[in-house]
Amino acid sequence: FRFKDSLAEDLRRADLVISHAGAGSCLEALEKGKPLVVVINEKLMNNHQLELAKRLHRDGHVVCCNCSTLVETLQSMDLSTLKPFPPGQPEKFALFLDKVVGFQ
Amino acid sequence: TGGHTTEILRLLSCLSESYSPRHYIFADSDKMSEAKIRSFEQKRAETFSNSQFTLDRIPRSREVRQSWTSSVVTTLYSILYALPLTYRLKPDLILCNGPGTCVPVCISALLLGLLGIKRAIIVYVESICRVETLSLSGKILYYFSDYFIVQWPDLKEKYPKSVYLGRIV
Repeated sequence: FRFKDSLAEDLRRADLVISHAGAGSCLEALEKGKPLVVVINEKLMNNHQLELAKRLHRDGHVVCCNCSTLVETLQSMDLSTLKPFPPGQPEKFALFLDKVVGFQ
Repeated sequence: TGGHTTEILRLLSCLSESYSPRHYIFADSDKMSEAKIRSFEQKRAETFSNSQFTLDRIPRSREVRQSWTSSVVTTLYSILYALPLTYRLKPDLILCNGPGTCVPVCISALLLGLLGIKRAIIVYVESICRVETLSLSGKILYYFSDYFIVQWPDLKEKYPKSVYLGRIV
């Protein structure tokens, strides 16, 4: 498919997600608790876009590979080692902001 | 734009009714943010009866990887739009999270503050994508915002005046 408004439904039904290293894509999959394989294409990506993918990989939340190692990775990966990625907490921001502006 | 809008709407998700009216400012070239914002506000109106919001567009300050010198020109052009808009809205609080659009708005707010017309509190939240380095908007606004929030500990170390609350989106 070309451009859907939302991949939420597809994500919900998926058992495994293979994605590029875009932050939105990664975070959407992780939040739904799906095992995620991130394919990094160094030629296409800005350096900064890799920061999140690298960090997620370092912290054990995703499997990483590049285009040429994808097949081999899919064959040999162990998804059970992936750590869950807890959701962010906007409540903390709300509490902080309330103090800043004086609503307490 | 895109990811920034999604992030900022998440930041807004737990704010109380007191944060009203909400004025959204985004780039004229942005096709998707309006729909996301309307959808968010519609949902919000189901819980909070007094939901007021407005939408305004200003020229996009900078394209991805646009050169330095031309960025200054396009940003100045955006300020020509942002300044009367900010003057009209006279916000008490400006919340931004990194798209180029936030720079002209914040500069306008700072100018209005310097001129004694309206002093806004500027809160900047760097994107969750920024783990080790700041965005260009972040590098600028680190010095001009009242509160600068980062979402990863490495950034807190590099930018000690920043606030670290953990991941908030």
